[in-house]
Amino acid sequence: MHEMQVVEVKRIVKETKRIRTFILDLDVNAIPGQFVMVWLPGVNEKPMSASYTKGDLGITVLRLGDFTRRLFELSEGDLLGIRGPMGRGFKIYGDRLLLVGGGVGVAPLAPLAEEALRDGKEVTAIVGALTASELLFVDRLKRAGARVLISTDDGTAGRKGFTTDVLAELLKEESFDQCFTCGPELMMAKVLDITREHRLPTQASLHRYFKCGIGICGQCVLDGTGLRVCKEGPTFRDKELRKSHEFGRYWRNAAGQKIYFGRR
Amino acid sequence: MHGLEVEVAGIMLKNPTMLASGIMGLSAASLRRAVRGGAGAVVAKSCSSQPREGNPNPTVIEVPPRGLLNSVGLANPGCRELAEELRKLGGEVPVIASVYGFSPEEYAENAVLMQQAGVDGVELNLSCPNVEGTVFGYREELAQEVVSEVKRRVKLPVFAKLTADAGDVVSVAKACEEAGADGITAINTLRAMSIDLTARQPVLGNRVGGLSGACLKPVALRCVYEIAEEVRIPVIGCGGISTGRDAVEFFLAGARAVQIGTAVLYRGLNVFRKVAQEIAEYLEERGYSSVGDITGMAHR
Ligand SMILES: Cc1cc2nc3c(=O)[nH]c(=O)nc-3n(C[C@H](O)[C@H](O)[C@H](O)COP(=O)(O)OP(=O)(O)OC[C@H]3O[C@@H](n4cnc5c(N)ncnc54)[C@H](O)[C@@H]3O)c2cc1C
Ligand SMILES: Cc1cc2nc3c(=O)[nH]c(=O)nc-3n(C[C@H](O)[C@H](O)[C@H](O)COP(=O)(O)O)c2cc1C
Ligand code: FES
Repeated sequence: MHEMQVVEVKRIVKETKRIRTFILDLDVNAIPGQFVMVWLPGVNEKPMSASYTKGDLGITVLRLGDFTRRLFELSEGDLLGIRGPMGRGFKIYGDRLLLVGGGVGVAPLAPLAEEALRDGKEVTAIVGALTASELLFVDRLKRAGARVLISTDDGTAGRKGFTTDVLAELLKEESFDQCFTCGPELMMAKVLDITREHRLPTQASLHRYFKCGIGICGQCVLDGTGLRVCKEGPTFRDKELRKSHEFGRYWRNAAGQKIYFGRR
Repeated sequence: MHGLEVEVAGIMLKNPTMLASGIMGLSAASLRRAVRGGAGAVVAKSCSSQPREGNPNPTVIEVPPRGLLNSVGLANPGCRELAEELRKLGGEVPVIASVYGFSPEEYAENAVLMQQAGVDGVELNLSCPNVEGTVFGYREELAQEVVSEVKRRVKLPVFAKLTADAGDVVSVAKACEEAGADGITAINTLRAMSIDLTARQPVLGNRVGGLSGACLKPVALRCVYEIAEEVRIPVIGCGGISTGRDAVEFFLAGARAVQIGTAVLYRGLNVFRKVAQEIAEYLEERGYSSVGDITGMAHR
């Protein structure tokens, strides 16, 4: 049972010009990779990954359209409704972990890194963004003890290019036990292609349009496998994603129509 | 499992459990999961001529005990895109399309598209407002217009899905039978609301939605019982069914088969297999050889 809990925003952290973290007055014990449905009364409700998973729940939001713009108008003390945490989180295997996060996709990876490092694992994180000022959680990852490799599309920090360029080079030199990725789907599809060549098992956190968030409405079902992103996901194993001809190609909008990511 | 086969308006089901419309019904991949979960037939999401995004979220929330409130708002990719999905289903179990429209003609056009896609039957979701804003299923003459128009255009078995929000659901059922419906599905959700005590406003984005799940069962059962008294065409029971015992109550009230929606949340996508198994156990315990043996027994 996931009843709506309306709680106060305790603290708002400006991470970058377009990304903010909202720490909520809601005690949780979530698995990194799990999500919550966030209700802004009178506006809408959307899924957000838990970016702080133990104690006070945190969500980290990129300003994009109407809903996130309205979220950014909130002040500390304002109310938000939360359903969850729900869905399947990441599962840690092995000792040498590799994280690949693009943009706000670093949100669910940061608590994963913290948890793994607390358990004595080694964590390398590849963090990418359009530009230096939009890099998310680099300090947080370093503070937790992770090795952080950076890429920016415009070359204002780290390697000029994409996270996948850094990944391809790194895997020529080093080996890891498990890879975790979250970010734009075409980036994740590329990550899976690269890690497959190196036989590196990979888990990816997917984004689909959510309505119910509880596995009833069918809105987020992946073609090929029939897996529900909100219920059997949002994190999936590479093997599961390879069985879906939808992954990396298209998603479905609020009406359920197919929308292709790029060229067919 | 013996004795579970049923025939509904010429459609043969290996067991009397069906997936209700609007649950996991937007694509072939998702309908296949209900088939794998043991459903005797599946009903796809209700579709209209044009794609519709539906209402803003929250559109589906849980309400205790074991209920849902939804205001999905008939969101769908449009009949053409959904028809392509239904075409992909391999005929493992009967597939029923669900259509709606804002005029009787639109219902009929959508039913024709679905017939071309090769479905086994069409369910008319009459819980849709017409251009003047009156819900077709609320009034005998409106429901009748829709059923006649669809029956004029398609050869498939046509089921009218009714709502208990109608003043007199039994009269609407009778009107649908007169207009040529091959079966009645009873019932759709009931209009309802939930208000959050802290936000002090309705939770659903649309404020009002439809109630489903355990709390709907006694209402649905009453409707099926009363409709079965008055019509000769088969009745499919729907509303709050989550166990074999629930299903048996509907058979005793006169239902030929049952649809299951909300219980997918509480018992998983295998709920169909579980319910079918439990129905078989009931029949065996009581010494009946088929579902048909107990259908309508409560009317004696
Ligand atoms: C499991 C999951 C975890 C997510 N975690 C985060 C996160 O940690 N931080 C973050 O900033 N965003 C996250 N998102 C995305 C977020 O839910 C919204 O998609 C995004 O914030 C849209 O913002 P908007 O409505 O302001 O923009 P809009 O302009 O309205 O939408 C932009 C795009 O967002 C997507 N979108 C819109 N509504 C939904 C919806 N109901 N469900 C899913 N996608 C939608 C669509 O792709 C749309 O094209 C997550 C999504 C999912 C499914
Ligand atoms: C999320 C959701 C969406 C639904 N969408 C439709 C729909 O598109 N068409 C329809 O005829 N009924 C729809 N229904 C109603 C169900 O088919 C069913 O009549 C109702 O939920 C009662 O059955 P249940 O208690 O087993 O869920 C929907 C129900 C739910 C919960
Ligand atoms: S969002 Fe409804 S099934 Fe996933």
